[in-house]
Amino acid sequence: MLKKEQNDYLCQTGPGTPMGNLFRCYWMPALLAEELPEPDCPPVRVKLLSERLIAFRDTEGRLGLIDEFCAHRGPSLWFGRNEECGLRCPYHGWKFDVTGQCVDVPSEPAESGYAKKIKLKSYPLVELGGVLWTYMGPPEKQPAMPEFEFATVPLNQTFSSKRFQECNWLQAMEGGIDSSHVSFLHRGDLANDPLFKGAAGNKYNLGDLSPVFEVVETDGGLLIGARRNAEDDQYYWRITPYVMPCYTGVPPRGDHPLHGHFWVPIDDESCWAWSYDYHPTRPLTEGEVDAMKAGKGVHVRYVPGTYRPLANKDNDYLMDRAAQKAGRTFSGVEGIGMQDASLQESMGPICDRTKENLVGTDNGIIMARHRLMRAAKALAEKGTIPPGVDTAHQKVRQAALLLKRNVPYKEGAKEALIAKKGVRQTTV
Amino acid sequence: MLTESARMTTAQELSFRIQEPNSRQRAVKIIALDKPSAAMVDQLAKKAWHGAEFFTSLSFTSDKAPGSGEGEALKAWLGDLAGRTQDLVTEVEKSDFVVVITAAGEDARAVTVISDACQMFHKSLLGLVVPQDGTSEAETEVSLKHLRPHTRMLVVAHGVDYIEVMLTALRA
Repeated sequence: MLKKEQNDYLCQTGPGTPMGNLFRCYWMPALLAEELPEPDCPPVRVKLLSERLIAFRDTEGRLGLIDEFCAHRGPSLWFGRNEECGLRCPYHGWKFDVTGQCVDVPSEPAESGYAKKIKLKSYPLVELGGVLWTYMGPPEKQPAMPEFEFATVPLNQTFSSKRFQECNWLQAMEGGIDSSHVSFLHRGDLANDPLFKGAAGNKYNLGDLSPVFEVVETDGGLLIGARRNAEDDQYYWRITPYVMPCYTGVPPRGDHPLHGHFWVPIDDESCWAWSYDYHPTRPLTEGEVDAMKAGKGVHVRYVPGTYRPLANKDNDYLMDRAAQKAGRTFSGVEGIGMQDASLQESMGPICDRTKENLVGTDNGIIMARHRLMRAAKALAEKGTIPPGVDTAHQKVRQAALLLKRNVPYKEGAKEALIAKKGVRQTTV
Repeated sequence: MLTESARMTTAQELSFRIQEPNSRQRAVKIIALDKPSAAMVDQLAKKAWHGAEFFTSLSFTSDKAPGSGEGEALKAWLGDLAGRTQDLVTEVEKSDFVVVITAAGEDARAVTVISDACQMFHKSLLGLVVPQDGTSEAETEVSLKHLRPHTRMLVVAHGVDYIEVMLTALRA
């Protein structure tokens, strides 16, 4: 349970808000590289942290993320012509480069220098791991580029997608650190999904519906360990890393690629649910990539030409009551990603946490909220750089393993929880 | 025409969510397992709570006369902030769930008795380990080891402020 003012504090990420300032300390995924595939390709509208922007790749391949609206009379530059190293507004021909600098005002003599006095707000946009990342904070505080493992392995070992989610970022992110829902909501998929099935660990998920949790703070966020009973005096541990403010890793299954999410606020009532899959030591197989593109695993199928899920609230998420009754899906919604999204969106644009009744096993969620609020306050009051900015905090890895019951997971999984180049994931 | 999902998930529709309370007051028992955690519990108890009860000491007596020839069964007693003594088993039976707090490096083995009582009445037991200034990771681990087999949720909480946040979130 949160008080309304606490809920507002965590959910509002627009400019000038405490959480908005916190988010503006980090590099965040903004677009897939495929959205700006080549020089002078069409520009793309982007809304992040309640700011409307336009992204484009100029003639020389440079990336720009600038204020969406022309500085002259305010039309959207989405209608712009991306040509000759700049985006030209089709209304009166004003032209802007990737830094937002106006480089041409046709109605004024070039010699007047008028264009130099016009500049749109811009943010850096950098390609890494098939994702275009932006940093929306003060330039003098720009941190080093992110080093999350999914973004730093060779491109043939990683696959990312994103889906439009019609609710506040926090209720979506909280699903990513809520390990106990897997045994219910996704139970049908453990046996059927090509990116989940066949793992030896699945039987423990299905066999023990009351996991026991252990939450530990880390420098960058949290480790949430969920243990289930296993044979031979062992526990089956699934360990979820959370890196502030919005990165989560899903513990692996067998040799399937590792997956997880970034939950990036678009505005206070919608977010991008980024989903990644990667393997630390081998290229993804053609079959795996095909499955990801087909919306399996944590990915979804799209409405053609968009990143909106094909199953969405306008079609009741293609609810299949027969599949629900037969147990093929637990909720009647197909696909792990949409099973999560449908329930999270059903909470409303911004979940009313004054009405929730958390239980002890929700401590991961309680602690994540606490750390976010604490970090936002420390940033506001003392300028403290928040956890998760330091790239050392990002070199974490999710793990699934069997440990003797007398071995604590923090000790037994110590090496498994660190991302190391060329070292395979620890998994069951 | 809008689907049911599209219509029902708007902010406007959600404003029709029933405003009546959807839960009743919980009976939460918070028990300090050692002296440093007793000080924390004492501090926490001064805040406003919804029926949470705080205990700062745990003691044991035998319910058999010494030398009676039968195995001695221990009886456990909780001491509350007013100095009253309450029977552990009765308090656990009356609870909805129980929270134990231990300072890292202190002896937390008494949790086994509380755990037995929780098992008897099918109550959840939550454990919080609070590292103190100067306690090592090894000491924290020893405390975790004591609590691990008995708790449904185990948390390393850096400071009393998190305990307060957690108890508030759980409507204690």
